[in-house]
Amino acid sequence: MPTRTNYFNTLTLREQLAQLGKCDFMHQSEFSDGANYLKGKKLVIIGCGSQGLNQGLNLRDSGLDVSYTLRAAAISEKRQSWKNATENGFTVGSYEELIPDADLVLNLTPDKQHSSVVGQVVPLMKQNSCLSYSHGFNIVEEGMEIREDITVIMVAPKCPGTEVREEYKRGFGVPTLIAIHENNDPRGEGLAIAKAYAAGTGGHKAGVLMSSFIAEVKSDLMGEQTILCGMLQTGSLLCFDKMIEKGVEKSYAAKLIQYGWETVTEALKHGGVTNMMDRLANPAKIKAFDLAEEMKDIMRPLYLKHMDDIMTGDFSAGMMEDWANDDDKLLGWRKETGETNFETTEVTADEISEQEYFDHGILMVAMVKAGVELAYETMTSAGIKEESAYYESLHETPLIANTIARKKLYEMNSTISDTAEYGCYLYNHACLPLLADFMTGIEADVIGRGMGLNDDGVDNQRLIEVNASIRDHSVEAIGQELRGYMSAMKKIV
Amino acid sequence: MVRNIQFNHATVRFNESFSLKDISWNIQPDEVWAITGLNGSGKSALAAALWGQGELYNGKIDGLPDQFAVVSLEAQAALIERERERDDSDITDEVNKGTPVRELLDELSVDPELLAKLIEVFHLEPLLDRGFRKLSTGESRKVLISRALSSRPDFLILDEPFEGLDRQTVPLVREILADILVAGPGVPGMVLVFNRFDEIPDFVTHIAFMVDGRIEHQFSADDSDALRGLEQILHINRQDLKLPVADANDRLPELDGSDPLVRISAATIKYEDNIVFENIDWCIKPGEHWQLTGPNGSGKTCLLNLITGDHPQCYSNDIFVFGFQRGNGESIWDIKQHIGYVSTALQWEYRVSISLRNVIISGFYDSIGLYSKATDTQKTIADEWLHLLGLESSADRAFNQLSYGDQRLLLIARAMVKHPQLLILDEPCLGLDDLNRRLVLALIEKICTGKETTVIYVNHHAEDKIDGIRRSLKLQ
Repeated sequence: MPTRTNYFNTLTLREQLAQLGKCDFMHQSEFSDGANYLKGKKLVIIGCGSQGLNQGLNLRDSGLDVSYTLRAAAISEKRQSWKNATENGFTVGSYEELIPDADLVLNLTPDKQHSSVVGQVVPLMKQNSCLSYSHGFNIVEEGMEIREDITVIMVAPKCPGTEVREEYKRGFGVPTLIAIHENNDPRGEGLAIAKAYAAGTGGHKAGVLMSSFIAEVKSDLMGEQTILCGMLQTGSLLCFDKMIEKGVEKSYAAKLIQYGWETVTEALKHGGVTNMMDRLANPAKIKAFDLAEEMKDIMRPLYLKHMDDIMTGDFSAGMMEDWANDDDKLLGWRKETGETNFETTEVTADEISEQEYFDHGILMVAMVKAGVELAYETMTSAGIKEESAYYESLHETPLIANTIARKKLYEMNSTISDTAEYGCYLYNHACLPLLADFMTGIEADVIGRGMGLNDDGVDNQRLIEVNASIRDHSVEAIGQELRGYMSAMKKIV
Repeated sequence: MVRNIQFNHATVRFNESFSLKDISWNIQPDEVWAITGLNGSGKSALAAALWGQGELYNGKIDGLPDQFAVVSLEAQAALIERERERDDSDITDEVNKGTPVRELLDELSVDPELLAKLIEVFHLEPLLDRGFRKLSTGESRKVLISRALSSRPDFLILDEPFEGLDRQTVPLVREILADILVAGPGVPGMVLVFNRFDEIPDFVTHIAFMVDGRIEHQFSADDSDALRGLEQILHINRQDLKLPVADANDRLPELDGSDPLVRISAATIKYEDNIVFENIDWCIKPGEHWQLTGPNGSGKTCLLNLITGDHPQCYSNDIFVFGFQRGNGESIWDIKQHIGYVSTALQWEYRVSISLRNVIISGFYDSIGLYSKATDTQKTIADEWLHLLGLESSADRAFNQLSYGDQRLLLIARAMVKHPQLLILDEPCLGLDDLNRRLVLALIEKICTGKETTVIYVNHHAEDKIDGIRRSLKLQ
């Protein structure tokens, strides 16, 4: 394998800043041509999992010619991916059969397979064709270089595959990020292809953001290892152990955490940090606010370190070393996660009401607030635009919380991408000791039992201050705008 | 233990816009009640109150069963929702096949003998390994009934138990229910809900008739005078029925009049483990109305979905629709703009909280929900439809708070609103009360006599025949 260099590090500072700061909302009028640019062209999708299948169904329903290519073994053994494609009436063939005729090859395989898949596919691709990614790690961090005549783009719907399909069938779509790899846009048609692809999946109706490979990768890595996976993992372990220490029934504690993240971040999804905090009674809100402020001060250096390691490429270098070493560290850490007290405790069958998750999970709410804001602040201060930072922090948090609700931590880690999992463990190992001191002062009133308030009274001035501070944060302003693009259209009349 | 159930001036709140009001009702252990009434009158709500749904505001309710089983559209929706939640495909990136029918049946069963009998009667054997969401409307109903009966509950609540079942199956279910009611000790209590008077089985001993959240009449099933009185209420004729006009500004591409609207040649739908149908030919010319028949699971909905483009295998079959040979660069919206469509699947998918007016307007855009700004003309037309349906005063209410039957009525108007070239009505009357059923049948008759729209009609009830429909395709 040729030695590769981190692409980001080959750029000048000026270029780096320009790329990082790219993320612009595109107007619907820019999509008046729909998917026409790709009409009559051959689209071949690699991989038929949830994203691959559902994007393919949408593209075909938009009038495009879509087929699937799978590894030879998946075809001969008629694996699930083969069944998914054939039962939906698609042509399926090997790389050798389909890639040479493809005008656009859509790589929708998991990150870790990218190097190997792209290595096999590119030599088969015809002159002047196009390769698309849904994630830029392979190009930016692994420094994969693609043949000069090939156009390289990225189209990444910001929702899970089933939602991509469901929204399309309704006549709508999901917000989508597109990018052009400037080193590989020989005929200057990358943007036209990416726009048509996004329109073919329905994304243009819910809003398309024009970003760059670099901005996508750096913000994605930062979000996933800090707030998304890292903070939720660390928070789960700390909150659980604290509740046990304070004598909260352990099956109750396990349930409060497993489903609590999902419940509180559902509020986040609808109305940002403001709405999540508004779900608490006033005294509890002020308490959560103070806890979050304290944690932000403690954790800020850690967030900065993660951002720095991502920017220099140290993070990916370390991780790729572990890949080369058969995931030695990663698998060890995964095993440890499976053995934690939280993970091995059965949850109670007793019901916990929606509001109780807030009232008894004040510390969890505070952790989400602290994590979202810190990740967002760190990203924007590193030159990443507000839009990217929002999507990679607040927007994605409910999706990971949903995974924890279904699967707890061990499975969450096994199913998220390798980059996210590796980063999550690094964060967790550093953050647990960092918050140890803070945790000694925590009582069950903020985690497990609730404040048992008979009197919801608070000082007016203090409440006004706290509310203003929550609402005036920049993640709230951009969040309101971006969520507005989706819901304003739904509520237009 | 079956007890005496007593409602004493009970007011039970279901949502912001619906409550059961001042219900006084006494169910003795040996009585079998049928609840009936108009759409939106609270039939399903009253049945749901029997298993503790809703919030008791006033009055008293005593003796509710501890152990019960429910067959209803809501129970079906809950099961579908559970399947959605169990679907981890977005997390594992593997497409989920769903909980197999076998597992759903075994989940609650305490009577393997009865379950085996039900599987035989319903011909469920070939479906046992299929995922629940892959079943047709009638098939999922059969699974739901089997689950409920084989759990041997103290109390059975059957909300429209025959809805969606084919003609052969209805008498079988009626017989099984009658058997359960005579089979010695452990006879469960039973309350049923019916939209159609003619479906009320002989074993029913009492009838409750709902109007606007209240029990307006309650009487013994052999009280023929009371029954006749009710039938009269339901026979109010709607004179001078007039369809609201189409939107004159909404001009679709002209079709070549010499082409058929639809030509399907040797169509086959198959999955790994089964063939739904093979070698179906069907040619639909403008103005030729069709009835599509066939037992549950014969593939009626699948065949219609080949036309609408909702079935993915439409791309691997030879299908010509509205001038397009499918799979040649046309988009699904190019097809849908010519079609008005109602089906049970559409109603499951139409889970949005928009207003009734906007639901009708969404028919102009073929969307679920509304994502474009409606014109004044479209709003006016929508209001005319609401008036026709008697829902004009609810124009701004949220769709998802309506009863199942009222939702269905709205979706029928949504399908008709643009006077489409092709109107596909897949069991349109499912969930409608007698009065609305007559209204809808009259609307369909009217459309069939006009020249603009060609109708494809699916239904299981012989008495819901439409005069203008002479051609029929039967699936096996």
